[in-house]
Amino acid sequence: MILDLHSHSIKSDDGRAKVENYCQWIQRKKLALDGFVLTEHRQFDATSDYRKLEDEYDLLILKASEVETEYGHVLLFGVNEDLQHAFDFSRIDLPLAEVVEQARRHDAIAVPCHPGRVTVGMCAHYETRGPVEGVEVIETLNGGSRGTENEEAIALAKEYGYRGVGGSDAHIVSFIGRCATDFERNVANMEDLVRELRAGRFEAVSYKI
Amino acid sequence: MSDSAPVRTFADVEFGEELPAFTPDVTMPTVRRFTDAAHMSWARFNDHEEARKQGLPGAIVPGIMSQGILAAMVNNWAPGCRIVKIDTIFRAALVVDSAPKCTGVVTDMDEEARRVEIDLTIANEAGETRVLGTAVVEL
Amino acid sequence: MDIDIQELKDGWCGRQFDEVSFELDVREMLEFAIACGETQPRFTDPEHPDFQAVPSYASRFHGRRAMPEDFPIKSHQGFDAGKCVEVHAPMRPGDKIVARSEIHDIYTKTGRSGDMLFIVHRMRFTNQDDELVSIVDWRLVQNRVSRRAPGEGGP
Repeated sequence: MILDLHSHSIKSDDGRAKVENYCQWIQRKKLALDGFVLTEHRQFDATSDYRKLEDEYDLLILKASEVETEYGHVLLFGVNEDLQHAFDFSRIDLPLAEVVEQARRHDAIAVPCHPGRVTVGMCAHYETRGPVEGVEVIETLNGGSRGTENEEAIALAKEYGYRGVGGSDAHIVSFIGRCATDFERNVANMEDLVRELRAGRFEAVSYKI
Repeated sequence: MSDSAPVRTFADVEFGEELPAFTPDVTMPTVRRFTDAAHMSWARFNDHEEARKQGLPGAIVPGIMSQGILAAMVNNWAPGCRIVKIDTIFRAALVVDSAPKCTGVVTDMDEEARRVEIDLTIANEAGETRVLGTAVVEL
Repeated sequence: MDIDIQELKDGWCGRQFDEVSFELDVREMLEFAIACGETQPRFTDPEHPDFQAVPSYASRFHGRRAMPEDFPIKSHQGFDAGKCVEVHAPMRPGDKIVARSEIHDIYTKTGRSGDMLFIVHRMRFTNQDDELVSIVDWRLVQNRVSRRAPGEGGP
């Protein structure tokens, strides 16, 4: 089952895509995606309901967050009310260790994203601050990364034994699905996704031309 | 192109249709022409050496010129259309005298309003997206 | 970044802080259009019956200041992170345009260039008939900011 684990809608400050248009694009362009996860910047969108779109387009649409830590940006899968109360999603200097631990404690998982990217990726911070306990999965294929950023993420994953996921980091409709994650087992909801991420039963894939 | 160029109507457009990709003219003379018109003849746009002293890779194309180039791409694709909104994010600098690539693709169609939405991008020679955004166009 | 964003937003968003006037010059409109690669006669031929400025033309105008006079943040370096232009009516040569500015939004995020303070400066453009012609949201990013000392000059 192939899911794009990293995308943004108009709910993100720099997102310009409407969710229905993502669905239309995936369907009309016959992309190899079974669904996608909306990872809005510095917030969790608790109110939007995409079940009708899921039914209409036969896609899985899940909601998650992209928060900002002193080690760079982090995707949070399995966000619930308890996790939202554990720390302020709007901060841009969250302690990564705390984010990872709070996610674990509240049945979610924190996945550092675009690790090879300058300033907002983990690689450079690992060199200066050292590794962080509790990280299991990182994003090794990001559709918006430049140059050798993905290669650096892959190298970091290898060095520390992290599993790698893929996501497009789409902010406009036509970028959805550039990178994704191929899961061995079916994922029907966020609980399944968190379980499969923890179990490591996936691999990152790229469809970027 | 004259007024006799075929006008593109809503019925002529398809979801997913790609606008013809092209390399815009961002040579120094043209950028200077733009900055003169816009009263922004500053070193960072008009002088490679001075721009480098400011920490830039060279003279850079003004963001609003990039936006204007994308608008022109839409207008040339659909003569007679009306751009209702154009929204661009300037992710990273485009260097003057380089050869970037502009693309556009139709990602939404509103039959009632006869409007389409177009994803817009400008990428540098390495294929890295420097400018991205959307335009809403009435046909 | 030691700034209370919510306090800034509550205190400054939605307040008009500037008003400037412009008269549209046909030569500048033409040069702007041609430099951007426009080929349609309504943008490139001043003799065309529908000659007008290109749709994004309003984005080239600035007020007298980027931020309100007594805004509590002193900017050190900034750049243009993007512009959104809504087009409501054509801009034509000789039009007398009034542009009114307000801070529309303020937020922080981190990017490749580090911690950034985003200030969304909104300008509403009306013509001599008081017709709304354009709204431009300009995302101005500040990389380094500090608090202005009491009595210190404006941005």
